[in-house]
Amino acid sequence: MEVLSVENIVKQYAGHTALNDISLTTKKGEIFGLLGPNGAGKTSLIRIINQITGPDSGRVLLGGRELKREDIARIGYLPEERGLYKKMKVYEQVMYFARLKGLTKKEAKERIDMWFEKFEITSWYNKKVEELSKGMAQKIQFIITVLHEPDLLILDEPFSGFDPINAQLIRNEIMELKKKGASILLSTHNMSSVEEICDSIALINQSKMVLKGNLNDIKNEFRSGVYSIQFKGMMFGFANALFADFSLEHSEQIDEDRAIAHVKLLKDNTLNDLLKTIMPVVNIEAVNEIIPSMNDIFLEAVKQKEGGDHV
Amino acid sequence: MSKTGLIIQREYGSRVRKKSFLIITLLVPLIIAGLGFLAMWLSVQETKQVKVLVADPENLCNGKIFVGDNANPPAIFYFYEDYLEPSVFYESGQYDDYDILIGIRKEVITNKSIKVFYRERMSKQTEYYIRDRIELRLEEYFAMDRGITLTEYRRIRQEFNFILENVDPYKTDTEPAQIVGFAISILIFIFILTYAGQVMRGVIEEKTSRVVEIVISSVKPIQLMMGKIIGIGLVGLTQFAIWAVIIGLGLTFIRIFFFQDMVDPSNLADALAPIEGMSPDLLTDQAAAVTRESDLIWIIYNGIPWPTLITLFVLYFMGGYLLYGALFAMIGAAVDSETDSQQVMIPVMLPLMFSYFIGILVIANPNGPAAAWFSQIPFSSPIIMLQLVAADTIEIWQVVLSLTILAGTIILIIWGAAKVYRTGILMYGKKASWKEIFKWMRH
Repeated sequence: MEVLSVENIVKQYAGHTALNDISLTTKKGEIFGLLGPNGAGKTSLIRIINQITGPDSGRVLLGGRELKREDIARIGYLPEERGLYKKMKVYEQVMYFARLKGLTKKEAKERIDMWFEKFEITSWYNKKVEELSKGMAQKIQFIITVLHEPDLLILDEPFSGFDPINAQLIRNEIMELKKKGASILLSTHNMSSVEEICDSIALINQSKMVLKGNLNDIKNEFRSGVYSIQFKGMMFGFANALFADFSLEHSEQIDEDRAIAHVKLLKDNTLNDLLKTIMPVVNIEAVNEIIPSMNDIFLEAVKQKEGGDHV
Repeated sequence: MSKTGLIIQREYGSRVRKKSFLIITLLVPLIIAGLGFLAMWLSVQETKQVKVLVADPENLCNGKIFVGDNANPPAIFYFYEDYLEPSVFYESGQYDDYDILIGIRKEVITNKSIKVFYRERMSKQTEYYIRDRIELRLEEYFAMDRGITLTEYRRIRQEFNFILENVDPYKTDTEPAQIVGFAISILIFIFILTYAGQVMRGVIEEKTSRVVEIVISSVKPIQLMMGKIIGIGLVGLTQFAIWAVIIGLGLTFIRIFFFQDMVDPSNLADALAPIEGMSPDLLTDQAAAVTRESDLIWIIYNGIPWPTLITLFVLYFMGGYLLYGALFAMIGAAVDSETDSQQVMIPVMLPLMFSYFIGILVIANPNGPAAAWFSQIPFSSPIIMLQLVAADTIEIWQVVLSLTILAGTIILIIWGAAKVYRTGILMYGKKASWKEIFKWMRH
């Protein structure tokens, strides 16, 4: 079921285009990764979804209906640039933001207690934010983001600045919220950090959509057909055996008679064909497919797109 | 509760609960009441002795004035047996030793009118002493002239009419009421500056700490801006209300325990002892007069229309504060840090400072065109108007007009400031120029 639909959004600032015809869709119980380098337009898009700014054209739908001011209560937003009121006490602060999201005092109190007990931080209630460490403040910010149980969770660079322990904690919470059915839009420039948790992704570069879809489909699409083969035997004989059906991309000697070679399948050859070809020549110790990282996919997609644009 | 309500509550609550707010709110009025007491006390402890030159061409006083058994009388009398023009007294230089010129002309017998020219306005205490002595001397003369006893004369006498004028025809005196008015102007100026400044610092704090990102994902920027302005404004009003109550109680306390004799006629017998056989209603008249023994005390307790001034203070403080508060919020949103704000603030600070200086000019001339114009211009009216109301040189329609113009301007300014605010609070890392600010306003 669709939760968020962004349709043909265009946003221009004085002198430059921040978003150029961007469309995407997130589903219930799905983690959607909005990826792209710094300055690609991710934050601009997120601000439009949060109704902090408006688009020049295009529209945003939430649950199939055009997004309205009241829908703010259905969205949880953890900004990249996040701060808290330094002089305010932790409990009061969380209560304040909860009530701004439309929770009653009673509801807010129950949920604050629940989250603080879960994170075992009820002793912070009367601390001022300025007394907290950065990691502690980040937990508070995360609680503020999810306290009103939003249908759509927007996390802008959620792991930046988190220490590894807190990053893991937040990752677990995100997975749990996903299980409960929330749709999560996660934006980051650090592509590798989200690979393992995203179901779908969109790649934005220089205000344009470069690539989008299911992460596995994309990975399949960008499969390079390169395998890493570890063997015992002579590299010379190995390379000769490949002949015209396969190409040797890269090789590395481990010790005197063992090596790792990266081999690309050419034409319609399969991995079986490759194995058949090299088995007589060397002793195979290990075979792995080399899967492109999101970074590689991004670079490849940008290259293709630019190539396409020039045609 | 509405979202704006929640913001107002936070802005208000977080400030009112601060220790510094409590200390300033309680300490300042005590200091003001203390200083007020000191000023009033000093005003009745005056020891300066004035020299009075009595120009008495008909020699009605016969060169004598009974000074009473006062060892240190507030005035000493000298006589000049000829006419003396006040201009000569003022300009010639040979009379510089004398502070006051009193002309007793032949006509005094019929018109009972005596002119008193002073270089510097004497205190009420001195004034009443001089009147008392002159009157007493002339009564003796009149009684003798008619062949009746002094006691009989007093029964049929008419009040003398003393006309006080500054010997310098170009100088108008600053009434104490105007000084009180100016003090209120300064207070309003300080209030506007303090609380509008708090709005700016609040906006900058939210912007630099980035907490604004979280807030405006829940509320509209204008709700945040207005919530902040209103919340902080209510802090100002709370402080003012507490001050008014404490100062009011303090002044009442001072009046009851220290200056009671100024108010209670029964305490006047001693002060008026020299005049024998005075009728009781005359005593009451004198009591009313002696209440004014100190101008300052009289002004504070009777001469200032406090309810009107307090009402107008609240209206003009709110008006001036909303106007400048919105402008300061706009500046806070446009800059990236508090140190950046100084330069951008200049165009907004200028009219505020300018109004303050106009205020100083207006004390000297509350009837002039500057007073009339600057009490209407919305950027200066909150500071100038109360002074004119205290000096009683303004019509009610002028106050209504000024408030209407102020209200209209506030709406315009808030509308423009909100546009700049919503763009500015999300612009990090650079300070906006005025050119950009105007561009955001038009956007």
